[in-house]
Amino acid sequence: MFLDPRVIILFAANALLLFLCLLVNSSLAPLSLYLLLLGPMLVLPALYLNHRSFFLCTLLTGLWVDAALPATFGLFTCGFLVVGTLIAMARIRFRAEHNYHPILLAHIANFACLVLLTVSQGLHTLSSPAFWLQLMTTALLSHAALLIVAPWFFNLQRLLFELCHVDTEPDEFPML
Amino acid sequence: MAKFRLDKFKPIVALGVFLVAWWIVPTLSKSFLPFVRVSFTEFQAPAWIVSSYLDNLENFWARRSHSKIELIEAGQELARQKAFYQLLDQRNKILETEVMRLESILDMPSRREFRYEVARVVRRDLSAWWQQLVIRKGEDYGITAGAAVIFAGGVVGRVVEVNAFTSRVELISSPNFRMAASFEGDIRPVVYQGVPQSGFGRPTGEVRDAPQDLVANTQDPLRLVSTRLGGTFPPGLMIGSVSWLEPGSTGIFQAGTVQLDKRLLSLQEVSVLIPLNPLNYDRDVP
Repeated sequence: MFLDPRVIILFAANALLLFLCLLVNSSLAPLSLYLLLLGPMLVLPALYLNHRSFFLCTLLTGLWVDAALPATFGLFTCGFLVVGTLIAMARIRFRAEHNYHPILLAHIANFACLVLLTVSQGLHTLSSPAFWLQLMTTALLSHAALLIVAPWFFNLQRLLFELCHVDTEPDEFPML
Repeated sequence: MAKFRLDKFKPIVALGVFLVAWWIVPTLSKSFLPFVRVSFTEFQAPAWIVSSYLDNLENFWARRSHSKIELIEAGQELARQKAFYQLLDQRNKILETEVMRLESILDMPSRREFRYEVARVVRRDLSAWWQQLVIRKGEDYGITAGAAVIFAGGVVGRVVEVNAFTSRVELISSPNFRMAASFEGDIRPVVYQGVPQSGFGRPTGEVRDAPQDLVANTQDPLRLVSTRLGGTFPPGLMIGSVSWLEPGSTGIFQAGTVQLDKRLLSLQEVSVLIPLNPLNYDRDVP
């Protein structure tokens, strides 16, 4: 099949996660708290799909996130593809069917997104202690939330695979 | 001997080709990436608009649970306020007529007039990297990029992006926001700029180029208001209060921290000021 149907499922799940995350952020704004939960979006496409489908899914997710957030357009599109490709290249080392490795990868990918945003958006504010204080708060809160959100999200994606009667196993032999 | 597998490099090759294409495409077609961005943004907009309307519906049902007595009391309070504002409106009209008469006597140039477009806040993106709001009106209501956004407490910010049904507003607390301002009762202009927010306490900004003779203290803080300079904001809108001024980096002027309104973090509704006669820089600027 030219297009793996799991691309649509994973992309829809990513769009849902982003929507919920932004809704929560909008409600948390009066408390000056912010959640950045982008890491889980990269993990299962890289671990489950073949490289063509992974590329398509991650490209769509990156463009979707870029359009939703006020960052420079292309930051997440390119950033997601780079991080996702690194995960895909090393996917033989991870067990996709359990949550332990995906959660670990989600934390690493999320931290990469935090660094990427800070480098691209906040270079002129790096000297401000207030910026670092808020960045630390955001990072701690996001990674604490990931401990709960990531397992739920990966289980949701696997549940959607089953509900839609698509292949529930990772695609083809893992690459070295 | 095992065959050397080239297929394992496919993702890297695909990534390299994509990154090169992403770098080259804007040089070949400047409108391609903006088109992609606008397409994805417009595709997402209905979800946000629907969630905003659902929020309104939730508020409606929450209000329906109030007792009749509470509603009657609220109606009486509103009637009192309406009567008060009607009186203020009459007085405002008299004063406006007087100002126009004096302006015609003095042959003063006409002031910029604005149309007020009230819009609901759909989403707040307040983080270490950006300080923005998304409102539920866009090109469909004639919102223009650069338009001023205000609320009951004063200045909110400026429209930075306009889509078909939504607009994005840069908040006054954002480090990317800067405007001309003045202290109340003093016509000399100063510069207001947003600063990175710590996330604790009230939002803050920074005022620069304040004259040396101004003195501010916590007992009697100075009120920073908007000026006509720049043409975006009408004069006299509250920006914030300054309770301390100290010599700036040049030593000639003073600088200080501006305490902004805490309600900026929880805005539900704002007004966009759309100029009735937009500035034409070729014609209006000498």
